[in-house]
Amino acid sequence: MPLTFIEIEKQKTWRIGLLFLLLLLMYFSVVLSLFLGILFFFPFYFMKTGSLVFWSDPLYIMVITGCSLFLAGIHFWFSASGAVQSVMKSLGAIPPDPEDGIHRRLKNIIDEIHVVTGQTRKIGCFVIPSLSMNAIAVADLKGNAAIAITEGLLSRLTRSQTEAVLAHEAYHILSRDCMEATIATSLFGMYAAMLEKLQNLGEEERSGLHPAFFLFWILLKLSQMLSMLISREREYRADAASVRMTRNPVAMAEALHLISRNWRGSGMIGSGLEMLCIINPQENELDESEGFWSNLMSTHPPIRKRIDILLKMVRVSIAELDRKLTSGTQTVNVPSGAAEPLYHVFDPKHKWQGPYALAELAALPWLLPLTWIRSSKDISMERASENPLINAIFTNRLNTAGKEVSEFLCPSCKQSLSETPYEKTKVYQCGFCRGVLVDNTKIPRIIARREKECTERIRSLAKAVTTDNQRKLAVKKLKKAEAQLKSLTSCPKCHNPMLRTFYSLAYLIEIDRCGFCNITWFDADELEMLQCIIENRMTATLDLS
Amino acid sequence: MEIWILVAVIALLLLWAIVIYNQLIALKNEVKNAWKQIDVQLKRRHDLIPNLVTVVKGYMEFERETLEKVTAARARAISTSGLREKVSAENLLSQELSGLFAVIENYPVLKSNENVLQLQEELTSTENRIAFARQLYNDLVANFATRIESFPSNIIASIFRFRKAEYYFIGEIDRSLPVADMSARPK
Repeated sequence: MPLTFIEIEKQKTWRIGLLFLLLLLMYFSVVLSLFLGILFFFPFYFMKTGSLVFWSDPLYIMVITGCSLFLAGIHFWFSASGAVQSVMKSLGAIPPDPEDGIHRRLKNIIDEIHVVTGQTRKIGCFVIPSLSMNAIAVADLKGNAAIAITEGLLSRLTRSQTEAVLAHEAYHILSRDCMEATIATSLFGMYAAMLEKLQNLGEEERSGLHPAFFLFWILLKLSQMLSMLISREREYRADAASVRMTRNPVAMAEALHLISRNWRGSGMIGSGLEMLCIINPQENELDESEGFWSNLMSTHPPIRKRIDILLKMVRVSIAELDRKLTSGTQTVNVPSGAAEPLYHVFDPKHKWQGPYALAELAALPWLLPLTWIRSSKDISMERASENPLINAIFTNRLNTAGKEVSEFLCPSCKQSLSETPYEKTKVYQCGFCRGVLVDNTKIPRIIARREKECTERIRSLAKAVTTDNQRKLAVKKLKKAEAQLKSLTSCPKCHNPMLRTFYSLAYLIEIDRCGFCNITWFDADELEMLQCIIENRMTATLDLS
Repeated sequence: MEIWILVAVIALLLLWAIVIYNQLIALKNEVKNAWKQIDVQLKRRHDLIPNLVTVVKGYMEFERETLEKVTAARARAISTSGLREKVSAENLLSQELSGLFAVIENYPVLKSNENVLQLQEELTSTENRIAFARQLYNDLVANFATRIESFPSNIIASIFRFRKAEYYFIGEIDRSLPVADMSARPK
């Protein structure tokens, strides 16, 4: 059911209230169990008449209840009331710089969001000085709310994508599920740390886990599960609300895709905060799978599913465009013969254009293999290269360009690669995305030869990328590298999935390798960057504090 | 005894009427306030346009006509009153503006000019704000209308002559030219 922003503001869903109550109850029993744990260790201070009497005496029970309630209340208040400030401080977030064009844009977008919500809730905005890509929303009991976005994400998104991301976060704040998550985080984050310490202590003394701590652990796990259960569904709701505001589902989908392909800031964003982020900072298999168990345990829904849902919404916006066209000017000739399908195309400025016939499509200079298209006949949206009819356009373009076409296909554009001379040897290059396929034996040659100059652009790009990757690598080492996510590209020769890896640990450029055919795929600029790094002996300058 | 029951019933009815009446008044004021929000944003746009025109003027000798059109549309939008006229005037202004932005695209000097970029960002943001303010306004109008028409609050509404507020539609002009969508994002 689509909600207006006024409804969201007024909505106090009983479900959220109930979950909140449950969280409190959990808290209470955790404190109680802590008490019991202490009792177990130091029985003599409390019990003079033996344990049987203790259990049946209502006075003891009441004292414990009162104490734990009091403690819970204090802890609750301290951890929840100033959460915005403490979270922002821990992330090192700073307010946007008014001198900076991109930061000004962020401020503008936040003001736009204020307009759509009727100025009812003030939302602060912060920038996290990090190259990772993530956004986070925080709200606390004092009524402060803030959205923080990393520098890396802010600079890499277009305006409409930033709008989509911020609207998503704003929904979390308006619907109050953010406040609940913030509180849950600040409460249970502390318990998690405590439990870790207790476990370490236990290992040192070789005494194993105490039954009281075991109870404690179960409660903690339960409460984590509960807070995660809140999280998953509302991500869908926030996506929907974001689309309602910006009317641009593709921007949201693209932003998600972009974020998921890059470093999301694991290690930088503390582990307790993952429920507040737009995407889980830690990549894990659980998030990307469906089914009962993962629904229960994971904080974020699978990105693929989120993107799918968003792309389905595109249908609606195209229907609107159609109506506009047909009700207005008659100059748009809609061919009545249904023989030839028409296509809507998503242009680089994020507007749907069309409908075009196939011949018109071929004339569009900005049509690339990765452009989104949608035919008037079926509902789903696809990349231009996935449609065999349209794919022919690109093949044709290649032929007219007069380049030698090889039998290999570009892993991302699915177009034939053409043989291109590079540093006096032959490589295969894609004419659309400029990615390069190189035989592994040829890489040393290319690196050794210095014919191609290293431009300023490549130099600065290489610097940024290596620093970014250095951090990524450090985090991976710290976390002892969980299983690699499946690669999205497949080998142009043998069609097995390629392995995304660093060129070497000294030269941190990410490349896709096929272990069977001994070939390497470089995305656009990656080969040049690698050369540049090696020639100039560039190393990542990063202190990992 | 019967009298007391009667009095109690009447008192309850009166209380109910007062509550409903107050709710309706609150909704009506919300709608009014939302309309003012649109006005604020429209005014913001009117104030930005002269700046843009002066910055751009020096570079665009051959596009005098486009600039004049924008200025004229702005003047018209400022002078009109009444919802319907205002909407159509503003829509025309949006349209002329996106025309101007399209022209700016052809001038590399302008496209990289810091001032122009900043003004363009401000105007884009304002366009968005107008669209969002309109969205809020229409939501509130719908809320109000539902309240007026649904039973039993419609009884009170008809006694005190509450009227439905008008929606802010995208006008006829807009439909004839799909480019001039209010949410059009020139850039």
